[in-house]
Amino acid sequence: MLTRLARALTSSSVRGGMRGLHRTAVPASDALFVHRDSPENNPDTPFQFTAENMKRAEAIMSIYPDGHKKAAVLPLLDLAQRQVGNWLPIQAMHAVASLLDMPRMRVYEVATFYTMYMRTPVGKYHIQVCTTTPCWLRGSDDVMRVIKDKLGLAPGQTTKDGAFTLSEVECLGACEDLAESDTAEILASLAAGKTPKAGPRNGRFAAEPLGGLTSLTTPPPGPGFGVRECLSVCVCVCVCVCALG
Amino acid sequence: MLRVGVSRLLQQGAPKGRAALGTGATRAQSSAPEKIEVFIDDQPVMVAPGTTVLQAAAQAGVEIPRFCYHERLSVAGNCRMCLVEVEKSVKPVAACAMPVMKGWRVKTDSDMTRKAREGVMEFLLINHPLDCPICDQGGECDLQDQSMSFGSDRSRFLDNKRAVEDKNIGPLVKTIMTRCIHCTRCVRFASEVAGVEDLGTTGRGTDMQIGTYVEKMLMSELSGNVIDLCPVGALTSKPYAFTARPWEVRRTDSVDVMDAVGSNIVVNHRTGEVLRILPKTHEASDINEEWLSDKSRFACDGLKRQRLVYPMVKDSSGELRACEWEDALLVAARALTGAQGSVAAVVGGLVDAEALVALKDLVNKLGGEATCTEEIFPEDGSGTDFRSSYLLNTTIAGVEEADLVLLVGTNPRFEAPLFNARLRKAWVHNELDVAIVGPNVDLTYDTEHLGEDPAIIEQLLAGTHPFSQRLKAAKRPMVVVGSALLARPDGGLLNARLQQLAHQLRAGCEGGGAWRVLNVLHRVASQVAALDLGYAPGVSKVRNAPPKVLYLLGSDEGAITREDLPADCLVIYQGHHGDRGAEIADVVLPGAAYTEKTATYVNTEGRAQQTQAALVPPGMAREDWKIIRALSEIVGVKLPYDNLAEVRDRLAELSPNLTRYGDVEEANYFAQASALAQKAFF
Amino acid sequence: MQGQITGHKRKKKQPAISCYYKMATRVVRSGVRQVKPLLSVDSGEARQRVLNLYKAWYRQLPYIVMDYDLPKSKEDCRVKLREEFMKHRHVQDIRVIDMLVIKGQMELKETVEVWKQKHGIMSYWRDTVEPKPKGFLNKFLDGHE
Repeated sequence: MLTRLARALTSSSVRGGMRGLHRTAVPASDALFVHRDSPENNPDTPFQFTAENMKRAEAIMSIYPDGHKKAAVLPLLDLAQRQVGNWLPIQAMHAVASLLDMPRMRVYEVATFYTMYMRTPVGKYHIQVCTTTPCWLRGSDDVMRVIKDKLGLAPGQTTKDGAFTLSEVECLGACEDLAESDTAEILASLAAGKTPKAGPRNGRFAAEPLGGLTSLTTPPPGPGFGVRECLSVCVCVCVCVCALG
Repeated sequence: MLRVGVSRLLQQGAPKGRAALGTGATRAQSSAPEKIEVFIDDQPVMVAPGTTVLQAAAQAGVEIPRFCYHERLSVAGNCRMCLVEVEKSVKPVAACAMPVMKGWRVKTDSDMTRKAREGVMEFLLINHPLDCPICDQGGECDLQDQSMSFGSDRSRFLDNKRAVEDKNIGPLVKTIMTRCIHCTRCVRFASEVAGVEDLGTTGRGTDMQIGTYVEKMLMSELSGNVIDLCPVGALTSKPYAFTARPWEVRRTDSVDVMDAVGSNIVVNHRTGEVLRILPKTHEASDINEEWLSDKSRFACDGLKRQRLVYPMVKDSSGELRACEWEDALLVAARALTGAQGSVAAVVGGLVDAEALVALKDLVNKLGGEATCTEEIFPEDGSGTDFRSSYLLNTTIAGVEEADLVLLVGTNPRFEAPLFNARLRKAWVHNELDVAIVGPNVDLTYDTEHLGEDPAIIEQLLAGTHPFSQRLKAAKRPMVVVGSALLARPDGGLLNARLQQLAHQLRAGCEGGGAWRVLNVLHRVASQVAALDLGYAPGVSKVRNAPPKVLYLLGSDEGAITREDLPADCLVIYQGHHGDRGAEIADVVLPGAAYTEKTATYVNTEGRAQQTQAALVPPGMAREDWKIIRALSEIVGVKLPYDNLAEVRDRLAELSPNLTRYGDVEEANYFAQASALAQKAFF
Repeated sequence: MQGQITGHKRKKKQPAISCYYKMATRVVRSGVRQVKPLLSVDSGEARQRVLNLYKAWYRQLPYIVMDYDLPKSKEDCRVKLREEFMKHRHVQDIRVIDMLVIKGQMELKETVEVWKQKHGIMSYWRDTVEPKPKGFLNKFLDGHE
């Protein structure tokens, strides 16, 4: 009732200057963007690159020209994250910083910017649910609800046994067309230690339309298509570029 | 922050300073690019290529609103407040980051510009709290001012505002991070000017925060400047929190005396109390640009604590008791008369030139010869006979023209933070190289540590040290001698060697002798004026021949202790706080601090500047030269000046540079000093 | 000064006339110029006016003490009255004397009619303005420097 009233008010001509009654929660991240010392993540937690990873790190650093060594911060953080398991303790960031001879703050900035660096421990399976508008329209809320119910988790939390972590993320570019039942099945198979089948569940191969192609159904015409004979040679290159987008 | 490479230097053209020097002129001429014409609001302006729209507008006298842009920091272009319309451009452009093109017509007051500003302002205010009434920035807030001028009177935002937790970055800077608009001025200042990479942006999008990520103090001697830089109330002064509104305070331009740099400041005061001290840009921005060291900025709370507010005389039980001026002056005068010329004076680091000249005249009139400073400077060789031997001859701004700096026995980061900031600036922008002889200290930029052994200086002079080649190759080298070196027992010898080294290097410099290599970095504000007036550096004179009456003028470093003096020696202490000097005194005369007197100070460059009295001295305290003048009359050797103008006439009589305010007097007697040093030691 | 060019002054100027021939004519002319009297035409008359004023005050003093409830006796007031008149004993200029007499009469009227208040009368006995210290040292000790 109130929402309707609010809508009526906001849509009417008195809108200017009128404070609406409608409220939405501010979509904030489930992660924290400051460091808090915890038993498993504090400046005393030891971290050191293994000999093997050190070699890898040096190989990575050697890719970049002199004076631009710090461009290797992304792969090195990834390397550190892989070494620890699936997250990035603060000491690992410090190790990367000293390796690249850059201020620690600059490493923190990178590590907090990218969502795939996990700065808190995550479970064995990290379930990331995309809730961006197209997915939301296609029922991401249902998928989310099933996971929440099955595992008893809120986004950002990890199950007690350390098996699952749930995160809410933006578009991952990997639409899997899950229904509620699919979601439950995937969770069950993961819990049983099996690897579920990857890819869309509704018969699509990738991101094509579900009912078959509706455009671009013919083979693409070659270069020089629709161009005067005399120009086709010079325009050829341009067409290539256009076709590639 | 990495040093800005040669490539950027080339892009920007030669630094402005270089064009000023003789040989640099040809270079500037050949590379001086043709100016291009642009139109700001239909007003034609000729600007150098590469000038941004914002700078071009400033040249035309049009100020474009901005938050993130700051002329002394790198361009970030992230606040979007400076959007302006450019004719034939579909979208408004960010004036701070966009270089002008030939014939551009910029419209800073068109409908599109106004709408763009209003939109940006609305976005900035989405998450900004409406807590201006309890915000310390209120009244001097860029966001407040600009939202009044350019913002809309209403918001279309209906959702909840974001809240950000406050950071604890130490006892000086208070953070209320919800107010932050992410201009990143503080981040850029910390990494570019202060050289501490502790501030940064964490997170992204709506979660973005400015902070240190881990809880950490902002460990910089320039940290207070982020308070001035912050365009909103996110970073405010912790000691000044909830103290006053900017329209309530009165402002007096003055000069800082906490170090020998002589930063220009604005004393903010109200009802007889200094509330805060802000930096003021020196007209030619030769001294402190617009920064201020934390010591200078936050020391003002001490001006109202533990002050000497009444004259005191030691009673029969040996305790200092408060008394009237008459009594104190009479006791002092009786002692001075009875001393029959056995009078000496020691002055401390915060004393102004007027008091210095009055005290010297008084002691000399009474027949005393020993007038000394607490701070030591070797007297061997030419000693302090030539001004060029004890000044920072290159000047602080001159650092930006240097290409190699050799710091000997000094830590400029703590002794003169703003001089260090200049060195850092030159290191970042001009490829300046810095080498240290002495303790290897962290100066916020890369330095080459040559060692701590004084023998290195000998080797450099002889040319046998590996670094000598680089010194010789340098076109504009600087040798900066610190007071720690001069205070050593062998300071005289080392100073002489360095004088010679500097003289040697000078031969190979650009500019045919116009470049001056030797620099002395003083620690205290009074030293240069004292040396100009003929005070003897160091208290050895007093130690060797203890006087019957010792006059301590603000000398609290403990250079002279009771043990150095005979038991019957009467000690007169004059000063404003009274530390170790007042402890040993028999008569205490309360003086004025630097915010309470109109007085002359000479900085380490030799630049005379004057403080302005913002307040009256507390209690019965008086201006220092007046106390000495009154005492002189009671003693019977009346000093011939009754007002400030007359004292300054006397100053000018002794050393005319002392009253040429704002100027650096040329001092150029390196050859003579070097020759005398040669005579004394070799 | 123009108010003071009286017969008395003129006598003093006499030697100057004999000294400077050229200027003399001018001085004589200005000296001879008759100044319009305020009330009195000669010093005798002025003296009489002063005495009259003095008597008027003298007679009113008992009533003033009573009306204002002054913490002073008649005798104190008489001493003060004499003091106030003697302050101007050096005045020679008839016009100035007259003006002082006029002021005195105004004062008397205001006092008698109780247009003044008690503190206004009492201020005759209290000198509130301390003399300013002269010289650097005195100023310094006084807190003015």
